[in-house]
Amino acid sequence: MSAGDENTGNRAGAMAFLIRTTSFTADGRELVRSATIAKPQIRVGRSAECDIHLPDLAVTPDHARIERIDARRIAVRATGTLGFDVDGRPSQSAEIDSATGAELRFGGHRITVSRSDADEVVLSVQRTEAVSDAAEERDEHQVFSLAGTMIGKRPLAWAAVVLILLAFLAVPIASYLSRPREDTRNIYAVMKQRGPAKDVVLGDSSWSSGPLSKAHHGLEGKCESCHTQAFVSVRDSACKTCHTDVHDHARPERIAQARAEAGLGGRLLASVAHAFGKPGPGACVDCHREHEGAGPMQPTPQIFCADCHATLDSRLTDTKIGNASDFGTDHPQFRPLVMVQPGKHPRFERIALDRKPMDDSGLKFPHALHLSRTGGVARMAQRLGAEQGYGDALACKSCHTPTSDGVRFKPVDMETNCQACHSLGFETIGGVTRTLRHGQPDQVIADLRAFYRSTGPTVPIQLGGMARRRPGDYAQGKVYHAYFGAVAARPNGADAAIAAVFSKGGACYDCHTVTPPGVNSATGWTVLPVHQTMRYMQKGWFDHAAHKTEKCESCHATTTSTKATDLLLPDLKSCRECHGGEKSRSDVPSACALCHSYHMDEGAPWVSHVGSSAVGPEQKRKKPTAERAADLP
Amino acid sequence: MATRASSTHTPRAKGETLHDGFLRHAGFRWAKIAGGLSLLLVVSYALIDITPRHNGGSWYGYTLGTIGVGLILWLTALGLRKRAMTTGRWSLKAWTSAHVYLGLSLIVIGTLHTGFQFGWNVHTLAYGLMMLVILSGLYGITVYTVLPRALSSNRSEMTQGQMLDALRAIDRQLHDAAQPLAQEDAALVRMSLDQDPFGGGLWRRLTGNHRDCVTTQAHRELRRATSTRPNLGNDPLEKVDALLDRKEAMLAQLRRHLRLRALLEIWLYVHVPATFALLAALTAHIVSVFFYW
Repeated sequence: MSAGDENTGNRAGAMAFLIRTTSFTADGRELVRSATIAKPQIRVGRSAECDIHLPDLAVTPDHARIERIDARRIAVRATGTLGFDVDGRPSQSAEIDSATGAELRFGGHRITVSRSDADEVVLSVQRTEAVSDAAEERDEHQVFSLAGTMIGKRPLAWAAVVLILLAFLAVPIASYLSRPREDTRNIYAVMKQRGPAKDVVLGDSSWSSGPLSKAHHGLEGKCESCHTQAFVSVRDSACKTCHTDVHDHARPERIAQARAEAGLGGRLLASVAHAFGKPGPGACVDCHREHEGAGPMQPTPQIFCADCHATLDSRLTDTKIGNASDFGTDHPQFRPLVMVQPGKHPRFERIALDRKPMDDSGLKFPHALHLSRTGGVARMAQRLGAEQGYGDALACKSCHTPTSDGVRFKPVDMETNCQACHSLGFETIGGVTRTLRHGQPDQVIADLRAFYRSTGPTVPIQLGGMARRRPGDYAQGKVYHAYFGAVAARPNGADAAIAAVFSKGGACYDCHTVTPPGVNSATGWTVLPVHQTMRYMQKGWFDHAAHKTEKCESCHATTTSTKATDLLLPDLKSCRECHGGEKSRSDVPSACALCHSYHMDEGAPWVSHVGSSAVGPEQKRKKPTAERAADLP
Repeated sequence: MATRASSTHTPRAKGETLHDGFLRHAGFRWAKIAGGLSLLLVVSYALIDITPRHNGGSWYGYTLGTIGVGLILWLTALGLRKRAMTTGRWSLKAWTSAHVYLGLSLIVIGTLHTGFQFGWNVHTLAYGLMMLVILSGLYGITVYTVLPRALSSNRSEMTQGQMLDALRAIDRQLHDAAQPLAQEDAALVRMSLDQDPFGGGLWRRLTGNHRDCVTTQAHRELRRATSTRPNLGNDPLEKVDALLDRKEAMLAQLRRHLRLRALLEIWLYVHVPATFALLAALTAHIVSVFFYW
């Protein structure tokens, strides 16, 4: 400040304002201009006529008045509605002691009130805000890129990493390690603990690679039931905690011998699997794969069987089992267990169907005669149809009754299935027909002797064979006397009647093999015991219920069979009309497990109930309802 | 980028480099390698009979998984490699070319590794993140190919600093021109001056939608006043009006620039963090598989 200014200040100090305006040059240098205004009142505003001219659009053209009240104090008063800030507080008017000082703010300008040594009121004016937002200092790299708008890549990455590692790794592992030790390792115990169970490992369901099969659904989320040890693959012992009665396919040493030597790739895979601690070949999980999706467990593919059975004879040189690798292309002929010698002590043998084996049950029965649509049997069926439920001729179901599960058929029973036509009645007393006892030759002989001893036969007994009968006259409960009239007239009729019953043309002889007295040192008449085979295929499984859309005759050649010893089983070729190998284009692609069970027992292979191939073709080959109903046994 | 500088057959002098983008590097060498690998894997997937069905837990699945994780780690290493700019056989360009094409082949490797079995689990999370990384990378390549031309034509020889300076100059003139205005009009101008040209958030940046721009609003309001009066040349409002016109044009250019840059940059905000998320999910995936082995 120059000396002249000070002089002016001293003179006019009582009433003057000293205005100091600070501005900055482009290169940031500070410029201060001072002016003394010797007025008791000055104007503040944007208008150029104002004493303190603030080029600020936030300031009205005539914004405020500053007035001196006395030597020290000034009054600031807004002229319009827009006020100003005094020491940061919005205000319309204020009284300020210049000795104490204050800071006024008008828009983007600051006016500092102070007092000079010469008792002037000093108003220091300075622009504090830039002209515009754009004019403010900016980091070009920040504002032009997304860096100014986005959260940084690094914090984003760290947040994601920490979150994922916590949720999917740290929590499950910590929960696994801190789970209670008294783990029962049993599906039933585990399921009992469902609900607020204590031993649930938190978050490990996110590790599951897929849903468990239907049978193991109860173990969902109970990973540690099977994955008993960390970093140790599932062992057979885990399966056997529940599956206690699973037995092996064969003796372990036989299986080891039978297993094919792996090729180079196979050996490499095996060594890698071994290095990673996978259980050796033949482990439960080799065939029974889990986490393959909800629903039934996937059937075991045929390759698991073919691995050994395709070339079994080259390693198990003493085996009687033929090589098999694919049902459609490489499967031995069926070898049903047939009865080669009937009798009290029958002898069974497995004979391939190619050798046309005979199955001698001990019975005489021509299928063709019984199923013929013409002739005596058909007439008989027509007459008895209403009562017995026969049609125009006998059908398979007239005599063969399926078992309750529909898998196979009950043995044919004389009383239930034959007697409707083949009556053993010999006398009617008071409306009740007396019948010879089937299956008890001694009782038959005794009953006949008693018949002749008691009274002279006024009515001859009915015991003839079927050859000379007239249709309809000899149904159960009726007595036929054409033949035995002559017999009854003879003296000592009992022995003759007994011989007649057991001999050719007699009631027993027609169906049974009868040995007269004296043969094979027998003292009396003997009837060869009858055995009916319930299951010919002992090593495979056949379910009649699954084939009920087929007619019986499409597999069983009954209409041409004239002897009971004819084995009416369909052969391999017949089955292959519908069934082929697992990957074949046949109607029913069939893996080994459709008929065979690795863990073989009396029951069906487990897969036959759930395998999709068992359902699909049935739907595909559905016949009209009426036809199906007629076929049903 | 990605354009062959010359198709003439003049032989190159020793040491001379012809500009060749990383996509076309060495006659698409890495595209061929990655394509061949993918084809091989697709064919082998179809031919190799895995029972009961393909999944990550078969020998084939483990093989694919091992290839996949190795590839992912190598691809991530580009982040380190790019900091050392070198030329020659293992040049950064070759590396980037391989990064792009082998990264794309990871779609095939990863998908076949899953055996198309997906679920709400950490394994599918890792797969999803991998696909996110790959797809964001694919987006990145696309915008790098398409946008720089648009960016350069929009700049019309101006640098970013010049654009900002131009805006500042208009603002200064606006500020001066508005001094004589009445308070109401001055407030409108001040609204425009106080506007942050870089404001508006990510969505505005990416879409370029600035319909509620205050400069436009201020301009519209002032226009309403000036349109009914004759322009006599001495109305300060007319001057402000003209300046606001210029400011709007300048803002539009700046915003186009910002939008193009945002579109060019946004994929890295997905690609990089998702890569690290993928590495974490991959760790959880691998550890969990062997934990419940």
